[in-house]
Parts: sequence; structure tokens; C-alpha cells
Amino acid sequence: GTGDVLGRKLEEKGFDKAYVVLGQFLVLRKDEELFREWLKETCGANAKQSRDCSGCLREWCDAFL
Amino acid sequence: MADLTDAELRKELLALGYRPGPITATTRKVYVKKLGCLRAEWSPSAERDGGLGSRAGSGPLLDGVGGLSSTPYWGSSAGRSAGLGSKALPSEEGGGLKSRNHWGSSGGAAGGLSPRASRGKEDLASSVGKEAERDGGSRAGGLIRRFPWRAASDGGCGVTPRSALLRSAPRQQPEGKGKGLEYCLSQFLCLASVVLLLIFVSILAVKMVGSGWLDRREDGFNLLPVDCDQSSDDFCQAKQKDMTMNVLHELYNYLSVQAGNFECGNPENLKSKCIWVSEAQDHVMNVTGSSPQKFEAALHWILNSNKDLGIWLKGRDLSQSVSSVKDVFCLESAHPQMGLGCRFRRAMVTAITNLFLFFWSLITLWGILIFLRYRWRKMEEEEQAMYEMVKKIIAVVQDHYREWERNLERYPYVGIFHVRDSLIPPQSRKRMKRVWERAVDFLASNESRIQTESHRVAGEDMLVWRWTQPSYLSDSEH
Repeated sequence: GTGDVLGRKLEEKGFDKAYVVLGQFLVLRKDEELFREWLKETCGANAKQSRDCSGCLREWCDAFL
Repeated sequence: MADLTDAELRKELLALGYRPGPITATTRKVYVKKLGCLRAEWSPSAERDGGLGSRAGSGPLLDGVGGLSSTPYWGSSAGRSAGLGSKALPSEEGGGLKSRNHWGSSGGAAGGLSPRASRGKEDLASSVGKEAERDGGSRAGGLIRRFPWRAASDGGCGVTPRSALLRSAPRQQPEGKGKGLEYCLSQFLCLASVVLLLIFVSILAVKMVGSGWLDRREDGFNLLPVDCDQSSDDFCQAKQKDMTMNVLHELYNYLSVQAGNFECGNPENLKSKCIWVSEAQDHVMNVTGSSPQKFEAALHWILNSNKDLGIWLKGRDLSQSVSSVKDVFCLESAHPQMGLGCRFRRAMVTAITNLFLFFWSLITLWGILIFLRYRWRKMEEEEQAMYEMVKKIIAVVQDHYREWERNLERYPYVGIFHVRDSLIPPQSRKRMKRVWERAVDFLASNESRIQTESHRVAGEDMLVWRWTQPSYLSDSEH
């Protein structure tokens, strides 16, 4: 749910791969609220984008972790 | 905020009941904000209801599109109240209230700002909370009552997406029309059964007590006889009348006893209820000690009287009515006397035969009602199954389309049979055939985002479903 523009911004901060973002999500103890906050702070994602991203990561974690 | 070392920040968060993850360079800012938020919540003397009210109140205001993403999670974590509430941040769009400013500036001096903002939130709470409560209705109210637990556990500063809660709560409204008819029918049948029972009991009672007291009988049968054969003055006339009455009384008793015996098992093996004149005469004369003239006078009296005496005079030809004493062949009682058991038996039989038809029709209606109930329940279950299937199909087709957008699939459409085979395991295919077909028909007629077309897939012509809506607007839950 992130898209090109925000993806670039994340890369600049060092989150160049999806698993790094996943790592950040896990470091925040899978707290979606905090993660969305973080995402907004880091790359300026809007509500929908951050929600999509956090939701996706959450589901992935539920399925595979 | 003086706590700027990682360890102290961690300790503060723990003190407020929140377990933070590792505090790193990237997570620090977020945790500082979290600390500010928790402090704001705890500072107004932990008025949980107020905090809840503010949260619930600001929910509809702040939470335009925000909390609705949580709906997928309701389904999975409906049981866990941990899943409820505090999932949407106040910092989302659509808000633009002072809380936004609160968050924006909390990075530095959250402590100073928080009491002010919290007070502002309290004002919001009182005005909005009430409306929110009214809007929410019983379901949301029940759910909000669970929030105190959640507030204590994580001190979440999120808002409650009330609209999402309402939408996702299961719709348990019963089908109005069907249930109403069923209710009426069952009430009616109960009433009819009760009425039938009452009628039955009343018939029983009436038959048992005997119909003697319903008709009017001649009074004054039991009077003292005086020998008054010869003279014919008024007194003697009266006395003769008394004697006649006496004879009649005896005759009546005798006849009714005989008739009762005949009706109730016939121990004397009588041929009919009609007693021969000679026999009756003999018996009466033995009992009363009167002469045959008196008997004839009595018979005469019966013939001339037009009141109902309870004694029928029958001639040789049973259908013809008698006109003179000579024609009388036998006598029959109209009010046979029967024992209690016999009467009860007869009453039961009469009642049952009278109500037979009614009884059976009632049984039939009960049977129909039960059958109808069963059918309605079955139909409802089928409907539910069909809608479940439709939802699954929509999800599959949409996912397929999305994957095609990401160049993972070859065609933007997916074969109908392929979807069926991926959703229904082989052993259930026959059983679910009806549900599947109804779902397919429903989609063809009612779903505008899925087109049913015929395409060539892998060299074979087949019916396919194609998702026809561009992305970002495609979720029906929004």
C-alpha cells in the first residue's frame, strides 16, 4: 500500500527492503498504532496508506510468525 | 519532558502500564509521543469513563475513514476485547481538531500541553459523548463497557471507531414477515386447542349430570294417595289427580330404570327400551297397589296432556302416533336413568364423536405449522450459506484481479469452475451444488463489479468472472 513516492522516502532513510520495514514493525512489538505513527513520521504516509501497510504486515505476521 | 535517556523513557512507559519494545534511534520518537499520550490520559485523575467518553466522542469526529480498516480485524478478534478500540490514532486525517496540534507539538513539551489538551478533550467528551452514546445504541454501549479493561491494560490513546463497530456487529434481526405469521399461527392454534378442551369438558359435564334438570318436568308426583274412588267432589278430584300422578311417577321411574339398564349393558336382556304395556301395568300395580282403571286413567292423562312427561307412548306401528289408550302397545322412557360410570362412558363417546372432526383438523394444522417452521428455518440457513459463498467468491475474484495488476496472473478474469473448485473441496461439491448455483445467479444479477463473460482460457472456452472496478475504490466494506 505504499507506492513509489513513499517507497523512495523510506529508502532514503535506510528502509530499502520490505523486510526492513517488517523489522521496524516487529521492533515496535507489532503495535499497529505506533507503527502507523512511525510511518507517518518517517515518510509522510497518509491515513490510508499507513493503514494498508500496517494491516498487511499484521496479517503477514499472523500467518507466518 | 526531562526523561530523555532511553532507560528512563522505558521505565516511565512501564510505570504507566505499557510495555514498549526496544528503544532505538527509529523508535524513540514514537515512544516519546506515546508517553505524552499516556500521561495526558492518566493526569485527569484517571477518570476512565471521561476518558472513554472523550475517546468514544471524538471517534465519529476524527475517525472519518480511519477506523474502518479495523473491521477486518473485528472478524478475527471478535472474542478478544483487546482487538476493540484504541486502534485508530487521533493523528489521522479528517480530524483537524486541536488534538492534532496536541500531537504535533508534543514532541517537545508534551507534559505542559497535555493537561490543556486533555481538558479540551473533556469538554468535547461531555457534549459529544452524549450524542455518541445515543447514536451507538445498545450494541456499542455494551462494547464500550468492556473498554475500561482495555484502558487499564494498554492505556491506549486511540479512539473507538463506533461506526465500524456497528457495521461489523452481526445483524441478528429476524425475518419480520415470516416470524410474524408463524407467531400468529401458533397463538391461534393454542387458543383453538384450549377452546376445544373447554367444549369437551363441558359436554362431558352436561352429559354426566343428566339432562333431567334441563327440561321441565311435572312436579308433584310424590303425594299421598287417599282412597277416593267413588265420590267425585272437588277434593276427591284433586285426590284422584294425585293418585294418577303417583301412578305416573312410578311408571316413569320404572320405565327410566329399564331404559337405563337397556342402555348400559342390558343385564336383563331386554329387546328394546320400549316396555310392553302389560308388563308396565303389572309392575306399577304391584308397586302402588292400585287398580287397572287407575293405570288406564294415567295413560289417558298422558295422552291428553301436552306437557313433556318423559314417557313416550308407542303404538304397534312405531312411526305412527297413538290417539287412544287402546292403541298403546309399549311405553318408553325419554329420560333413562343410568349409573355414573355408564353415564361417563357415554358422555366421553358423545363428546369425542362430536368433536372428532374438529380434533382431527386441529391435529392437521399443528402438523402443518411444525412443518412450515422447519421449512422456514431450512430456507434461512440456505440463504446464509449462499451469502457466505458470494462473499468468498467476491474476495477470490478481487484478489485474482489484484494479482493480475501486479503481473502475477496472465488474464484479468478467472474461470467460474476454477473458482468453484478452489473454494469447495471435492467431497462437498455435490452437497453444495445448490448453494453454488444460487450464488452464481446472485452474482450475475446483483453484483455490478463482477462481469460474467465467456472467454477462451488455456485453449478452452468457458464462462469467466472479471473484476471490473479499478483499485483503491474496490472494497465494499468502506
